[in-house]
Amino acid sequence: MPDRGPDMDAKTLAVLTAAADQPPDVSTDRLLARLSRNRDLVLFIIAALIFLFFSLTTSTFLREFNLLNILRNTSLITIVAVGMTFVLIAGEIDLSVGSAYGVLTVLMGMLVVAVGLSPWLAMPIVILAGAAVGLFNGLFIVGFGIPSFIVTLAMLAGFRSLALIISGERPFTPRGTDVFYDLTGGNMLLPLGEDRVLHVPWLIIWMIPVVVIGGIVLAYTRFGYHVYATGGNREAARDTGINVARVRLSVFVLTSALCGLAAALVFGYLHAAAPTTGVGFEFRVIGAVVVGGTALTGGRGSILGTLLGAVIIGMITGGMVLFGYSQNVGDMATGLLIMVVGSLDLGLRRHLRSRAW
Amino acid sequence: MAEQPFVECRGVSKAFGNVSALHEVDVDLYRGQVLAIVGDNGAGKSTLMKILSGVHQPDRGTIKIAGEPIRIADPHQARELGIATVFQNLALVDQRDVAANLFLGREPVRAGIFVNRKAMREGARRVFADLRVHMPSLAAEVGQLSGGQRQSIAIGRATAQQGRIIIMDEPTAALGVQESQKVLDLVMRLKAAGTGVVIVSHNLRHVFSVADRIMVLRRGRRVGERLHAETTPDDIVKLIVGAGRE
Repeated sequence: MPDRGPDMDAKTLAVLTAAADQPPDVSTDRLLARLSRNRDLVLFIIAALIFLFFSLTTSTFLREFNLLNILRNTSLITIVAVGMTFVLIAGEIDLSVGSAYGVLTVLMGMLVVAVGLSPWLAMPIVILAGAAVGLFNGLFIVGFGIPSFIVTLAMLAGFRSLALIISGERPFTPRGTDVFYDLTGGNMLLPLGEDRVLHVPWLIIWMIPVVVIGGIVLAYTRFGYHVYATGGNREAARDTGINVARVRLSVFVLTSALCGLAAALVFGYLHAAAPTTGVGFEFRVIGAVVVGGTALTGGRGSILGTLLGAVIIGMITGGMVLFGYSQNVGDMATGLLIMVVGSLDLGLRRHLRSRAW
Repeated sequence: MAEQPFVECRGVSKAFGNVSALHEVDVDLYRGQVLAIVGDNGAGKSTLMKILSGVHQPDRGTIKIAGEPIRIADPHQARELGIATVFQNLALVDQRDVAANLFLGREPVRAGIFVNRKAMREGARRVFADLRVHMPSLAAEVGQLSGGQRQSIAIGRATAQQGRIIIMDEPTAALGVQESQKVLDLVMRLKAAGTGVVIVSHNLRHVFSVADRIMVLRRGRRVGERLHAETTPDDIVKLIVGAGRE
């Protein structure tokens, strides 16, 4: 860097003079800084407002789209989005999740229907196969240094073709009755006092530990800290002794393994494994993570934000349907939301940075 | 200077391809002393700095630390030997807070995996108290701090790693007047605390305000070394451009 001493001195002077003339609005800035830090709280408020809006403007939202239904409808997205949060924070992207989820669902169907395995045995196999998929992606990205955008874009097409080829383009439908199908597709009955029973979809119960463990690992463990550091400033992370290659590989393995879990669950939930499972899934997963405040540029984000992002998208998509619009309009609204959240976030940070003096 | 130097380099040479970046350079680093390395662009300042910090290895020459001959294989080993480097890019993660940056890559843990935030905050408070640096908040994002505060965090990290020699690459190049002065004050406090400081800088005014010794490199050779008391900026400039006595 050239020596810009005198130049900087003049700038400092200018800033100091300006500061003396008109003191910046400290209280507003402090509030904005706090909002920028507590983005999860902001998201929570936004989610509550959207909930309120649909509850008041439609007569059926509360009945049809109560919170449990929204959570169930977005639970598989949320499970994979937990992994995707790690990926984006580490400064990478995984576009292949929809197809990986699809091919793993086909694998689940084949293991149960064609091979005749118990779904309980097939599930861990599919999760391990998912981890292998992530290792495969990671090998090209970390090992050969090809950008994750390129590798996973290729795999988005590759895994989808694989799903269609190995399935013969036909779905697998299991005949047996196993408790697995009740524990994925059914509801858990939660007695609430006298004669009231709350029906909690099992998909939500499966999602909870993923969200909780994912949230704890990201926010409180050394590994989580290193994920943030890797995505925030990879060179700095490497200079301070963080094993950047291992961190990057791990996030892809984690995400694909969670695709395996989601694949096993969707098979149980739908009682079928279709090779077209998860078309467009990557958009909803990445959408939930980004609306949840995780930066596409890395180094920033949270699992709670991702959960709230998924719920917000779920409410908007569901609410649009109640207004008489199709799912396509819901996706458009999601896209719009991603734009709004992205630009608000950037604008806020630019403003705060300009006040750093 | 009866005391033994902490780091002793003799006849250190380094070439990149056909280009000789450093030729037969001797340098001694003492604890509690500030050495400034000055020279024009391409004089070999950053090559010498990178050899001391373990980024490059010399082709020829010896390095002794505390009298022991040693080969510094990488920056990690340099840090373990007590040589910490504050690079010009500072190696900070802008999106993370002050405490997380101060302990980047060396986070204290509980139960083997959980980061001990409390220990980090206490450690950070101690480091900044020792350096007498005021940090507005340990929870502030580093990207939203001023250049001087960022420099202080990078220097604080070097001291938190028990650096007995701290090498600073152009520590004031990106700073304004007041912030530069704060960093120079920090250098004097490190010196007073017994840390050896090496400053690579273009700014002779800053060099003269802190350095005990000034070493001049020109085209990869050491063309002179002067004690602060025995030299003038004019003298140093002549050495840098090669117009004076050698």
